[in-house]
Amino acid sequence: MPARKSLSLQKETAVDINKARQLVLGRLCGRVALPELIGLASPLDAVFSLLYRTVSNDEGNSALLIGPRGSGKSSVISKALSLVAEKRKRENITSKYHIVRLSGFIHTNDKIALRDIARQLLIEQDLENILIGSFADAFTYILNLLRVASVEGEYGQPPVLFILEEFDLLAQHPKQSLLYTLFDIAQSQQTPIAVLGVTARIDVMDLLEKRVKSRFSHRQIHVHYMQSLDDFTSIARAALHLPLSDNINNDNNATFSEIYVSRFNSRVDEILATESVAAYIATVFDLGKDVRQLLRAFVLAASHITIEQPLLQLTDAEASIAKEEASAKFQVISTISLLELCLIISMKSLVQGGSSKYNFEMVYNEYKTFMSRHLMAAATGGTMKVYKKPIALKAFEALVELEVVRPVTTAVSAESNAGGGAFSRNDMLAGSTQGARAPKEYRMVQIMLEPGQIVELMANRIDVPMVIRRWAQQ
Amino acid sequence: MMTTDPNSRLSVQFPGRGEQIDQLLAFLGQPTDSSPPGIFVYGPTATGKTAVIRELFAQYDSTGQQYALVNCIECFTPRLLFERTLNAWAGHTPNVSNKYANYVRCENLVDFINCVRDLLVVASGGQRADTTHYLVLDQAERLRDRGPMLLTSLLRLSELTGANIAVILISNVVWDKFRPRHGGAPDPIPIYFSAYTKSQILDIVAKDCPQDEPQAFFLTFVDAIYEVFHRNCVDLNELRHLVAMLYPKFVQPVFEKQATRNEFARLFKLCQPYFSAASERLYLREISTSEWQKNSAVASAKNDPDDVTLSIYQMAEDAETLDLPYYTKFLLIAAFLASYNPARLDAQYFSRSKGPSKRRKGAKADDALGGKDRQQLLGPKAFAIERMLAIFYSIIAEPVDSSVDVQIQIASLVTLRLLTKASSGDRLDGIKCKCNVSLEAIRAISRSVKFDIDRFLYDFT
Repeated sequence: MPARKSLSLQKETAVDINKARQLVLGRLCGRVALPELIGLASPLDAVFSLLYRTVSNDEGNSALLIGPRGSGKSSVISKALSLVAEKRKRENITSKYHIVRLSGFIHTNDKIALRDIARQLLIEQDLENILIGSFADAFTYILNLLRVASVEGEYGQPPVLFILEEFDLLAQHPKQSLLYTLFDIAQSQQTPIAVLGVTARIDVMDLLEKRVKSRFSHRQIHVHYMQSLDDFTSIARAALHLPLSDNINNDNNATFSEIYVSRFNSRVDEILATESVAAYIATVFDLGKDVRQLLRAFVLAASHITIEQPLLQLTDAEASIAKEEASAKFQVISTISLLELCLIISMKSLVQGGSSKYNFEMVYNEYKTFMSRHLMAAATGGTMKVYKKPIALKAFEALVELEVVRPVTTAVSAESNAGGGAFSRNDMLAGSTQGARAPKEYRMVQIMLEPGQIVELMANRIDVPMVIRRWAQQ
Repeated sequence: MMTTDPNSRLSVQFPGRGEQIDQLLAFLGQPTDSSPPGIFVYGPTATGKTAVIRELFAQYDSTGQQYALVNCIECFTPRLLFERTLNAWAGHTPNVSNKYANYVRCENLVDFINCVRDLLVVASGGQRADTTHYLVLDQAERLRDRGPMLLTSLLRLSELTGANIAVILISNVVWDKFRPRHGGAPDPIPIYFSAYTKSQILDIVAKDCPQDEPQAFFLTFVDAIYEVFHRNCVDLNELRHLVAMLYPKFVQPVFEKQATRNEFARLFKLCQPYFSAASERLYLREISTSEWQKNSAVASAKNDPDDVTLSIYQMAEDAETLDLPYYTKFLLIAAFLASYNPARLDAQYFSRSKGPSKRRKGAKADDALGGKDRQQLLGPKAFAIERMLAIFYSIIAEPVDSSVDVQIQIASLVTLRLLTKASSGDRLDGIKCKCNVSLEAIRAISRSVKFDIDRFLYDFT
């Protein structure tokens, strides 16, 4: 038993354990870089040399780093940047260079982006008056301010590295003036800048306007998902293994006692080799190869590391794997009330009757006809009560709230808008006049479950009367 | 930092939530541990999601500067959300002395991220950057309609700011319905708050037991209410509301010396007649809490079941009848008929030459009635005002003098939202309307003017 063994560990290992916990958690949550990048050597090399040439030789460079989500693009960049810094430190070069990071998620238009560029370049000047002119003017003005600031150096201007995350979103800004200006400067050698766009979209070139495209170097660096399951598993191993004390100079200067490291690491290997965990890793590999999803399964286990329990626990890993695999939708709707269940079955029978959309009145009518038919046939009826319309409506609204039932929107506008579903849901609940003008009983809805799923839903419940069960299976 | 074991303390406070509390505490861990960037807390309504997290943080972080609790309904713009968050993290409270100013003005995401970075990384010299800060977003499903990037950026907050930030989303909608289309949001770690089992519910409601009442007796009552009620609603809050409202009535016979606490069945029988009537109305909030408390004392003192039932109905009745002028009621009836009857049958129903009953038989023979797409189920359809007026003049017995008044009444019906305009607002000619009144309400109105509406309705059941 690991818990009993731990008592024999020395007092000072308490510090170790705490450090180990922090290190592993940091890696799993993406706050501490993994010790090695597996299978990313060639893109790392390309990115590093591109950035380094700009920093050391004042070259203007532009490139796109393309790879699917969770394939390690950001890790490549942060590793490359730290390598650049390291190499310059080793060669004792002290000249300045700047890094500007933009992200399509937050820099939603060029003006915001420009202001943030200025802020990241530590220009404190009031920007309001320079933003009146064209984007390019303002931008060159900002870069020229840099020139003034560094006039004592032998280089005219310090190099600037632009990292553009979610490049495809930045490309959707009207007129693409940000990208145009950046590529133009990178190409024309006014200022040594490197522009590195990062995106998950493989067709990103098609988004660029002609004038932007012609200024881009057309260098693309691709990051691929892991090719083999073994490599994929070794990522998990790299994230969970504790470093041996000799090769971790740059790693939070953490040193661990050798016994603890070897015990910890062998437990990690043990867990990774367990059938259920290995099966989960294989599933993630087969479905998406997303590293973040892989690492997520171990967060709970890692956060349970304590002094009493200094190693990872298989049960924790298995518990979080079970959670990852459970269907959240089923969990939530498996405990709805009997009346809500009846309404869902009514909708199912409406669907089977050929209606693709229906409103509360139709559903209630279906429910009532079934109930009256059943009550007449059985004539016992004591356990089954036919609920009044307002009560059924309240139950129906609870289903809408859970988004098991969704209002049918006037299709086209909702398609284009990502938040469309949420809007119409609020309409449905608040009875606002936007979109649906009818009283809420008459607004058309659709059920978001397959008939088969509804039958499955019944299977796990014990409180459903036989009649309802039979009705659902019709 | 944690002297007593918060896990056991919270587990006692929240029965049946031990597993979830354990998980949350594990993720919270030590203040400087890296936390997962996103945690998604989900589960049905009234399963203690918000309550557990609120209490947990109150105990976990006594300074209150490590977590921000933001309700997304309350903070209906991104700006409000950002400023509220920063206020909490900075320990800033808007009050009189600072003229209710926020810690900082924060318009967009970039400002927010920079402010967070300034606050947590720069200002504290990197000291606070390692301490986990939490942003708890209640009713997180509302974030989806605040622009496509907000949710994604919040989930990447720790990556974007470089500070150690965990965002906890609380919602009763599953994560599948959140996932943005562009796929940029990393999936948060799910924590499921399952629905309470019956014994857990009884444990929780037991905490509501009045001080001078024996708990076992109280629980028997709750058990009985639960058995009836859980078939149509599993919401714990609704159950507690009902219990709080009905329990005083239930024990009243004990104090009035009509029964003892041991005669449970007899007690139930005594209040049975008005429980069934009242529980429905209380559940639908047709009787407000204060109304019930004020009037129910009178109601049950009489102890004559019929009177009691009647008085309960009267309590809710007032709201239902629409107090409208005589002609206006007929206008509304006409609008209802125009909304639900097919226009082609108007001549049969309303022409003066022949009686409607005879025609109605003929109509029945023509169509298959009771279909699934009858107007009663589809809801009101738009009709031209002229058609409504024609029906109005046909169903009203005596001639109407002034047509001006009628027009004004139509306008006021529209203002009352009893009619809704279906044509565009700037059209003065050929206005189309829909009738917005339910069948029950229109029946009540017809009764009050002694008009038999059922004779005129086509294909209703």
